[in-house]
Amino acid sequence: MTSPMHHASDSALVEQMMAGDENALSALYDRYSGMLFAMLVRILKDTSAAEEVLQDLFLQLWRNAARFDASRGSLPAWLVVIGRNRAISRLRGRERHEVQEDETFSMEAVAGPGNIEDEAWRDQMRERLKKAMADLPGEQREAVELAYFEGMTQTEIAARTKTPLGTVKSRVRAAMQSLKQVFDDGRTRQSGRS
Amino acid sequence: MEEHVNPGDPDLYALGALDGEEKQAFEAHVRTCAACAEELAAARQRVALLALAAPPAAPSPAVKQRLMQHVRAEKTTVAVPVREMRRFSFLIPALAACTVFFAVLAGWLWRMDLRDTHRIAFLQRRLANAEERSQEVASTAAETDRLLGVPGTINVALAQQPGQPAGQAGVLYNQRLGTVLYAGQLLPAPAGKSYQLWLVPAQGAPVSLGVFSAKEARVAMTAHVSPGIAAKAFAVTIEPQGGMPQPTGPKVLVGVPG
Repeated sequence: MTSPMHHASDSALVEQMMAGDENALSALYDRYSGMLFAMLVRILKDTSAAEEVLQDLFLQLWRNAARFDASRGSLPAWLVVIGRNRAISRLRGRERHEVQEDETFSMEAVAGPGNIEDEAWRDQMRERLKKAMADLPGEQREAVELAYFEGMTQTEIAARTKTPLGTVKSRVRAAMQSLKQVFDDGRTRQSGRS
Repeated sequence: MEEHVNPGDPDLYALGALDGEEKQAFEAHVRTCAACAEELAAARQRVALLALAAPPAAPSPAVKQRLMQHVRAEKTTVAVPVREMRRFSFLIPALAACTVFFAVLAGWLWRMDLRDTHRIAFLQRRLANAEERSQEVASTAAETDRLLGVPGTINVALAQQPGQPAGQAGVLYNQRLGTVLYAGQLLPAPAGKSYQLWLVPAQGAPVSLGVFSAKEARVAMTAHVSPGIAAKAFAVTIEPQGGMPQPTGPKVLVGVPG
């Protein structure tokens, strides 16, 4: 059985958090912790470390709810960006301030891809993305995964894969073009439903 | 004709993969090119979506339990005057230093196998108090920062009224959210009496925000009222123990929004 709060919009829950309602945080945690935790485990390859980052992420959300403007960005997209930054920083021992800069930018600028707030949409996209990733040529998939899940730069990917830099760029570009098609299809389907 | 960035650069940048001079050149270009900034925004959306490519996994229920415990601890009523909260933030490192000092001292005495167990117990109590105080100050600062960060929050100083017990207090109030954060310092309430905090609306009867006995030298608390009430004043009165539906006793502190 779910409470009415579990049907509230992200922006309504953020407003309630600003008023000090911890149940709103609880509802947002229930809504997005699974998606975020899966990403964090994939990056950190360590369940305990992923749980620590996840807890810190939602604690930051609680403390900084007032700074989030739902009209200018998507909460889950922001959580994804910040969570990924933190995990990669931890993975690679980067300086914290590097993360802070990204957090400032992303709070304002990350729009939601499609309807990422909707769990059913996320499930659909997860399946489509899984297939699309599996369909990518191995080198393209490797390039994207090294960048996204291991935080490597193009130069580092080139060195790791012993591939010319231009080739790495081409692979990433081609892979992202394929994924763009998945995203565009998902958006079209969502428009059709609404 | 304006030269734009390489077609794949927005994706590389959004992935965090662009580096060196290319990254700098890209950032410089995007700052002045609306079309490429739009490309970058779309790329960021695609990159955010990649989180869904991770195999499903679920965190332990203990993570949420710890999170909610932490949040409740931060919400705990705290005891520092609002007007001085920000100034008190400098105490955090000092209290932390005290905590470490007492911890080291207690440990040293223990190792020396001194028989004065009373002294050790005293130091341990001091250590516990210092830790508790440190947490309270940090918690207050967090709550204050949270409310001050919300647009429309006002800060009202409550002044001692003539002939009343000495005291001072402050209120942070956000009308849109209906959230009030009070902190103040008053003498203990007279026997059988309580202090009661009120919001006096521009229209209508005063609204009780809470009752406190002021057994402690300092008291702080958070209260919630219906959103949208315009405040004409805030006041602390002395009431029969447990408080009253409407103010009946003398006003001890009064503050009017500027």
